[in-house]
Parts: sequence; C-alpha cells; structure tokens
Amino acid sequence: MRKEMPWFALIWIILAVVGSAAAPLLTPYDPIQPAGAPLEPIGGSLLLGSDQLGRDLWTRLVYGGRATLSASFLAASITICGGIFLGLAASLIGGLLERLLLLLFNATMAVPGLLLAMLFVGGIGPGFPSVILAAGLSGIPGFARLVHSQAESVFRQPYIEAARALGAGRVWLYIFHILPNLRTELLSFGTTYLAWAFTGITTLNFLGLAGDPSIPEWGVLLNTGRSYLIQAPQLILLPGVFISLTILSIFSIGEWLSTERVTERSTNRVEIRNTQEEAL
Amino acid sequence: MVSTINRTEHRILTLIIRTFGEALLTAWAAVTLTFFALRATSGDPTANLLAQGLASPQQVERLRTALFLDQPLFTQYGRFLLGLFKGDLGISFYTNRSVFLTLAEQLRPTLELGTLSVLFMFLFASMLGITAAWWHGKPAGRFASRMADVLTTLPVALVGLLFLYIFSVIRQHSTRPGGFNPYSLLLPAVVLGFSLSGGVARILKSSLREVLKKPYILAARARGLRKNGRLLWFALRPALPPAVSLSALEIAYVFSGTVVTETLFGRPGLGRLLVSSILQSDFPVAQGVITLAALFYTLTHFLARILILLIDPRLRGEP
Repeated sequence: MRKEMPWFALIWIILAVVGSAAAPLLTPYDPIQPAGAPLEPIGGSLLLGSDQLGRDLWTRLVYGGRATLSASFLAASITICGGIFLGLAASLIGGLLERLLLLLFNATMAVPGLLLAMLFVGGIGPGFPSVILAAGLSGIPGFARLVHSQAESVFRQPYIEAARALGAGRVWLYIFHILPNLRTELLSFGTTYLAWAFTGITTLNFLGLAGDPSIPEWGVLLNTGRSYLIQAPQLILLPGVFISLTILSIFSIGEWLSTERVTERSTNRVEIRNTQEEAL
Repeated sequence: MVSTINRTEHRILTLIIRTFGEALLTAWAAVTLTFFALRATSGDPTANLLAQGLASPQQVERLRTALFLDQPLFTQYGRFLLGLFKGDLGISFYTNRSVFLTLAEQLRPTLELGTLSVLFMFLFASMLGITAAWWHGKPAGRFASRMADVLTTLPVALVGLLFLYIFSVIRQHSTRPGGFNPYSLLLPAVVLGFSLSGGVARILKSSLREVLKKPYILAARARGLRKNGRLLWFALRPALPPAVSLSALEIAYVFSGTVVTETLFGRPGLGRLLVSSILQSDFPVAQGVITLAALFYTLTHFLARILILLIDPRLRGEP
C-alpha cells in the first residue's frame, strides 16, 4: 500500500530547520535579554509580545527551535550509534553474552523511556547537556533490540550464506553485508527514535530538569509560560503549536518511510508500530 | 476427552509458570539496571550534592559512610538487594527520613490518579475506536480516527496544557465558590486518560473494522439486523481481545504519564516526588521511585500476559 508523501510535514520540518539555523537573521533581539516591557500583548511593539521578563517571544521561539531541534538530532544520533553498535555486537558475538545483552535490553524496557531518561538525569545531575545525553541513552536498548532482530533475520538470507561460502569473516559480513542491507529499516527506526528524542527532550525540559529557566527551548518555554496561562496564553500556546507540528511531522514522515520503503519484510511495520507505542 | 482438557490446563499452567519466571528475571534485571545506571553515570551520587553546595564536605563524608559508598560496588549492590527484600530503601539525603515511608505516603494520590485515568482511558478509547470504525469514511469516523492518531503522538504535557487553558478560560466566566475542585483529581485524570487512549483506540478501530467486514456480519444484516446497537454489540465482542491486551500493557505505562500530569497540576504524588528528588540530587529517593516503577511495570506486564493467554487461545501455542 503506497501512501502519499506527507508534503506538509516535510515543508514544516524544512522551515523549522532553516528558521532555526537562520535565527539571528530573523530577529534583532537577544533571546536572554529583555527587549521591552514584561507580558506585552501580541502585535504591540514586539511581533508576538513578550514574556514575564520582557523578552521577545518570537526571538525565544526561533532560538528555541535551534536548541530543541539540535538537541533532538544529537540525542537521536547517540541512540542510533549506540543502538547499531550494541545490536550488531550482540548478534555478532552470539552465545551467552548475546542472551545476557538481550536480557538487559528487555529489562530496560521495564523502565518506561521517560523514567529511564530521568534516572540518567539524576545520575549526571540536572542541566541541559545531561537532558540531551539522557534522552539519547534511554533509547539505546530499544533501538539495539530492533537492530538485533533485523540483523538476525538478514543473517538467515541466502546471500549471506553465499558470502560466507566465499570466505567472508564474521566482522566483515556484519559491516559490509548486513549493515548496508539494514539501511531502510534503520531509516524508519531512526525517524521513530528522533520523534522519541524530541518528545523526551521537550518533556524533560518541561519538567524543569534542564535546571535553568532562561534557556530558550520549547519545553522550557512551556514550563515557564504556564504560570501566565490567563494573562498571556500565547506564551504556552505558540510553543505548544510548534512542538505539536514538529512531532506530528516527524511521525508522519516516519510512517510514510515505513510504508513506502519497508515493504518486503512485512513484520517490520508491526514491530515499528509496537516500538513507537512502547517508546512513549 | 477428559485427558485433552487436562493437557490444555497443564500447558496453560506451564506457560504461566514460565511467564512468572521471566517476569522475576526482568524485575531483577531492571532493579539491577536502576542501581548501576545511577552509579555509572554519576560515579559518586554525593558529588552533585557537594557541587551544588547543598552539603558540606563533612556531611557528605558522613553520608558516604551511611550509604556504604566507601565500600566496593558489589558490596553496595548486595546491601541494596538485601534492603529491597526487607523494604528498606535507604534514607533521603534531604529530609533524613526513610525512603520507604516517603514513598508509602506519596503512593495513594498516584494510585488514585492512575486508577481513575485508566478508567477514562477505556472510556475515551472505546468512544474514539468505535466511532472511527462504525462511521468509517464519514466525517465523524475520519475525525475520530485522526484524533486517535494525533493522541498517540502528542506528549502528555501538551494535551494537559491545552485542557488547563480551556478550563481556566471557562472558569474565569463561571466561578463557583467553594465545594468541588475539578483540578485536584478529575481534570488530571481526564487529561491522562485522554492522552493514553490513542493507541488503544487505534487497535480497537482496526480490529472492529476487520470484524465488520466478516461474512457473518453481512449474513446477520442480510437476515434483517439493522446497523444499530445490537449489531455493534454483536461485532464488538470478537473485536475486543487485541484492544484489551494492548490496554493491559498500556496500564504499565501509566506511571510515566503521572509524572507529567502531577507536575502540571501541582498534585502531590510519586511523580512529583521523583522530579523534586532529581532536582535536589536526592539520590536514594529517585532510586526508590524508579525501582518501584520498574517493579510495578513488571507486575502489570506479567498480569497482562496472563490475561492475554487466558483470553486468546491461539497464543497458547502448540507444544
């Protein structure tokens, strides 16, 4: 079943990435310094008004995209690299160590993603870098489990047997035959985990675990804005809209990737769905 | 005949015992993971306390002795496991009280919120799922289906903030003095139940749609049964097992939702306790809450799997 390409989602993601990269060009103000009177309404001297300390909301939103998106990509790369490494290593080593690693991955699933991330933040100490690290680390076991099961299913295919018959070593097989053949699955798992990293980071920051409320980040904006729900609803509604649009876009791109590209092994889609639901 | 029944029962019993064994193993591994993850990432759990200036070096030294941090890692781990069996989770850095008692105090509000939100989850999920399947392709069905999709992706915090905003606007116009306060339990439970309902609604929708396409539904309609409540009831019963099994698994995840909801609504509970203990570097409390959550998850997951085994005979498998 082919799905239509999610144009709206793609356009939004591109806009968000370009807008965040060009943040200093889009606004004359500083995201941390006040630009006007506190809690100015929309359409006054500042485009979207100001927050409780007089900082320009538009400026904080575009710089916030910078922090949130780059943090999500960073966290997702930690998850993906760690997951690929551990998943392939488990499959490659085999034997008792493989079973131990799988037990560990499964046990980690017993601690919901958010709590695991909070555990890591607790260990490293509150702060924005530890939020990123925690969101990245907490995805590794789930990702590794997926990579492991995919690698096992590729391993049973005839061309692997052929390569082995030609004398390919195990490590060589994994790096040059199995890994490249996993790229479509990795792309769609990766998108799923990018969505998880994004949700994780905004949620952890919403809970105040970044420590510093002046950081321009969408989750932090939600957290600080909620005290001014009645006087200045735009302080939470606008970051809320930005977060929703981004997460919905990532998910619909992920869904499109999984229906479009992963067709030959139909079990994958079910598995991807399950992980999406488990991750959140 | 009798022997077949006995064999089936025997097989189920074996499966239950095996599931129980796996659950025990998972619980042990999860508890171990909790123990080592905190230590592996921090090195020394008292370091943050010292760095943030929350304790003097002498106090930290005393804490280290009290927590056996001056002893080898495996001795600490042994003491932790032993303490867990005795219900002793250590002493809070911050309040100097037993972690076990602190957790026990905060358990009730979280249990209340969790239970009520699960009820709301069932309510919303069946509303959305049935609407989406019954009026498939029509505006109402499309709306419900889209809603379920959006709910599975949106973080709880956003759904909660939106509800909070809408209700505070309504409340501005009609302030009823005293009496019932919807913010304390009802609204948080509605928010959490609503945002958890997406996944279950999706499963219910797809399994109900499968059933509605079956020939015997067509036959029933051909016999003159109109598309009304009776037909729905008729179709719903075979459609339920997958939805029930997913919602049983979903319950295991309620706890991470309560963390956000409790913070959002300023409700006391284990979730709030966890957030504040992390911000204060109150390491034994954070460890205690997450250990409890892992044990809770393993228990509900175990019960869910048993439930699924009992509901769906196909999963019992052949020997």
